[in-house]
Amino acid sequence: MTRHVAIVGAGPSGCFLAQALLKARPDLAVDLIDRLPVPYGLVRYGVAADHQGTKAIARQFARLFERQGARFHGNVEIGRDVPLAALREAYDAVVLASGLSGDRTPDLAGLPLAGVHGAGALTRALYDHPDAGPLPDLGAHPLILGNGNVALDILRLLAKTPDELDGSDLGPRATRWLADSGIETITIVGRSPAAQARFDPVMVRELGALQGVSITVEAAPPGADDAGEKVLAALAQIDGTATGPRRIAFRFGLTPTGVVGEGGRIVALTVTRPDGVAETLPCTALVTAIGFRGDGTLPTDEGPGLYKAGWFARGPRGTIPENRADAQALALRILADLDADPDAPAKPGAAVLDRCRDRVDYDGWSRIDAAELAAAPANRCRQKLDTRAAMLALACRTEETQP
Amino acid sequence: MKLAILYGTETGNAEMLAEDLQSALEADHEVSVANLSDIAPEDLDGDTFYLVVCSTYGDGELPASAQPFGAALDAGDPDLSHVHFAIFGLGDSAYPDTFNGGSAVLAAALAQRGATMIGDRVTHDASGPDLAEDLALPWAEAVIAEAATRLGAAA
Ligand SMILES: Cc1cc2nc3c(=O)[nH]c(=O)nc-3n(C[C@H](O)[C@H](O)[C@H](O)COP(=O)(O)OP(=O)(O)OC[C@H]3O[C@@H](n4cnc5c(N)ncnc54)[C@H](O)[C@@H]3O)c2cc1C
Ligand SMILES: Cc1cc2nc3c(=O)[nH]c(=O)nc-3n(C[C@H](O)[C@H](O)[C@H](O)COP(=O)(O)O)c2cc1C
Repeated sequence: MTRHVAIVGAGPSGCFLAQALLKARPDLAVDLIDRLPVPYGLVRYGVAADHQGTKAIARQFARLFERQGARFHGNVEIGRDVPLAALREAYDAVVLASGLSGDRTPDLAGLPLAGVHGAGALTRALYDHPDAGPLPDLGAHPLILGNGNVALDILRLLAKTPDELDGSDLGPRATRWLADSGIETITIVGRSPAAQARFDPVMVRELGALQGVSITVEAAPPGADDAGEKVLAALAQIDGTATGPRRIAFRFGLTPTGVVGEGGRIVALTVTRPDGVAETLPCTALVTAIGFRGDGTLPTDEGPGLYKAGWFARGPRGTIPENRADAQALALRILADLDADPDAPAKPGAAVLDRCRDRVDYDGWSRIDAAELAAAPANRCRQKLDTRAAMLALACRTEETQP
Repeated sequence: MKLAILYGTETGNAEMLAEDLQSALEADHEVSVANLSDIAPEDLDGDTFYLVVCSTYGDGELPASAQPFGAALDAGDPDLSHVHFAIFGLGDSAYPDTFNGGSAVLAAALAQRGATMIGDRVTHDASGPDLAEDLALPWAEAVIAEAATRLGAAA
């Protein structure tokens, strides 16, 4: 009897889980369901456009569908197109690997205001996510709030000259937007001291290679652990970089207290310094990169035959490698539970998805993928389709010559 | 001459490459594949030619699955003077200072314990235009040919 596993979300955690399950048990029927017509989650829509090496992991995931027998069901949103309860009825095991796509917003007096943008919303707009809003006007002096790698990604992209984006998959709209941004200064503000910043030191050093920037780093108080020492060393290394006019300032240990608006739009962030003194940081926009949260549509508790994986399980921390280790452990747990219940009634599996219109299978995604690669201009490796309509037109194309 | 492909990985690219190499080589050779996490330095023998495939993490360090093996090489005093290996690295030139540090560290640690490296260390760049298998297969064929003459038909 075939056992059926549904994985909700075809991002890295879902894909690594499918990989581990099928490696251990090639006879399982594993279905990866995603609300987007395209797979791979944040590998496609979060990992920076100029970090193509990291996106190369997608080749491994393609094997899942091409050789390991996993099936992709795109453009199916669990909780909307198919109720979770119906999915659980139809499968022996259901895994929620749906990530955390909502931006955590700071709790600041004076919000909401125009000109304040979450990092997730901004990166989705930059990377042509079909559900993203338009790219916002950041003005000449944007301020980035946050001390993690997502904040660094945004800083780096905003700071790059057009030539430095060669070889990326940044789309024409975002390319024009960046080239015309008029950004003069970018201030990146962290709540914690520099030694506790969650920056990857390698990504800090990457900023030292930028071609058009002048970088200053606020002096850090001493007293760091090993990881902190590496971050401090990397910050010290890039401090003083002077290759061009765009000024980048790193500030640390500032506790945000509020925002100041004029005519409904942000003009400053107010903070408290470590010495207790209040300071007003003028800005033309605020990008918050302080974490992510769920949108509340899927339950956060596991139950019989219901599991969680990846960011949805762990919270918005951890890189792609960590999802693999976790997925391998979860696969063992799921397989043990399946084995413990050998006489479970047979389940129908993917038939429950049949009612979904415009479902995209792996061949459909392959047509989108091929079209995007073929459409890439000379200095880009891919040009993404940026609307669901364009994706579905390719993916759900039916053979008209069929009898 | 028996072949053993040993991989060190964190996100699975090296494992996928090891499996690709095995498929490509098994028609002509006896080939096994193992994760370095399942191997101790003492397990290495003189009759087998080892094809090591290893990625890079952190700041030019070994990937998670190779770390226990690396630590065992550093901590113990295994004599690997009977061992022959070749090594292929996976890395990403987006990390210019530490590009393919993992395979370099591992090659040095094996050599330090007396193992003989065959051929040059060849590296793949995840940000580059080549597919890993397109570089690794010619590498494997070249080092296997060289190892066959060195280890001799006897092995
Ligand atoms: C901006 C950004 C940049 C990053 N850069 C890097 C990096 O360079 N390197 C690195 O190692 N890590 C990076 N990370 C972290 C990495 O992306 C995460 O560790 C990883 O993506 C988490 O995987 P996941 O599968 O849990 O979630 P996701 O990748 O978010 O995948 C979740 C999937 O579930 C789908 N989904 C959601 N709800 C539903 C539903 N109801 N029904 C069906 N499908 C649904 C979504 O469409 C999505 O495809 C970055 C993260 C962000 C936010
Ligand atoms: C967090 C992280 C750190 C990395 N550090 C380096 C590095 O220092 N040098 C390098 O050459 N490659 C580095 N890489 C790139 C990987 O080695 C490369 O993507 C490789 O293909 C991964 O292989 P694996 O999946 O077998 O682990 C890093 C990748 C990640 C995700």
